[in-house]
Amino acid sequence: MSKHRHTEPPSDLVLRVKALESLLLEKGLVDAAALDILIDTYENKVGPRNGAKVVARAWADPAYKTRLLADATTAIAEFGFVGRQGEDMLVVENTPGIHNLTVCTLCSCYPWPVLGLPPVWYKAAPYRSRAVHDPRGVLREFGLELPEDVEIRVWDSTAELRYLVLPERPTGTESFSEDELASLVTRDAMIGVAKATAPDGTAGANT
Amino acid sequence: MNGAHDLGGMDGLGPIDYEVDEPVFHAEWERRVFALTVAMGFYGAWNIDMSRHARERTPAAEYLSSSYYEIWLSGLERLLDEDGLLTRAEIDARVTALRTEES
Amino acid sequence: MPALLAKDTTAQLRKGGSARVATEVPAKFAPGDRVVVRNLNPPGHTRAPRYIRCKTGTIDRDHGVFVFPDTHAHGKGSSPQHVYSVRFAAREVWGNDASPRDAIYIDLWDDYLDPSQE
Repeated sequence: MSKHRHTEPPSDLVLRVKALESLLLEKGLVDAAALDILIDTYENKVGPRNGAKVVARAWADPAYKTRLLADATTAIAEFGFVGRQGEDMLVVENTPGIHNLTVCTLCSCYPWPVLGLPPVWYKAAPYRSRAVHDPRGVLREFGLELPEDVEIRVWDSTAELRYLVLPERPTGTESFSEDELASLVTRDAMIGVAKATAPDGTAGANT
Repeated sequence: MNGAHDLGGMDGLGPIDYEVDEPVFHAEWERRVFALTVAMGFYGAWNIDMSRHARERTPAAEYLSSSYYEIWLSGLERLLDEDGLLTRAEIDARVTALRTEES
Repeated sequence: MPALLAKDTTAQLRKGGSARVATEVPAKFAPGDRVVVRNLNPPGHTRAPRYIRCKTGTIDRDHGVFVFPDTHAHGKGSSPQHVYSVRFAAREVWGNDASPRDAIYIDLWDDYLDPSQE
């Protein structure tokens, strides 16, 4: 892992943000308690465990999967996962012959209600530049080598539709409960840079 | 605009910098920039398209060398300044005051 | 304009703000239509990435009517129009070194597209 430049910000930046916040508070443009709720919501309450529940239900319940693929926004709302940056959702399904990968080449669009806030690499230039041009190379960097006969579909979220990948259900999970299934669903699998985790805990790259 | 934000297909930007068990925020200032940006979005002086455009007007060299919350900060300052809600001069002055306080 | 208050924050986040518009606007294209992305280079905001301009693709699905960012970002109205998921073969976009199988799906507005003359 390389050094993350933002972990030790220059003190100028910290000071600038402090200055900005104090001025916005004084002008009454922001409310301190509202800021705390915004941070707490996305740091502690909303995250990829939401999306994992959606995927697990789709694996366990064929009728739900049908609804999810036909109208993802409504089907996801059955869990109460709604709102900002998930107003209009689409779920794309991986199959033995098709692998889906999501990216936002122009900014950092990401389905917040089901995945939370995006990881740094998703918003950074290397992934955004190469996911559309060299998806196989990008997936290899994530340790996922896909056979030539698998079609890769890259979804560039240029508009207000937000994408969630429905990974393939790992084999050997026939007896799993929905909760157990959800534990196999990683953030990366729902972005499309990984497969769901196999029951033995391996990355499931060859399922 | 054909800016640095339009990254699809560009080469030479290096390997993907993956972090295992990445935290949602890496520093307190990121929490603040995130919350201020979202709160000001709800305030309603601009829409999401204006907000994206403000970020992509971050000077190209700066855009490519900034972390995403730095780009958000740049965009927020630009919108506040252009809307006359808070000028860069006011922020600069407050930075100077805070620095004096801290030293 | 009032600041976002703590008591409203969770409700506001859950409400969100869809860019979908209820206005009835005729669609210029239908799934299966071949389209070419216009050679757009506006000085302002656009969501048509450079890499897809002048490329030919196929309308995969019609998402419905949405606000148009190119005008909305500049206070020039919402210009509601259809957004489509358009499929482009990787080779159409990147040439013959790309995989013959892979494809890119991009969401594009009516005003970015012309019918393909192919």
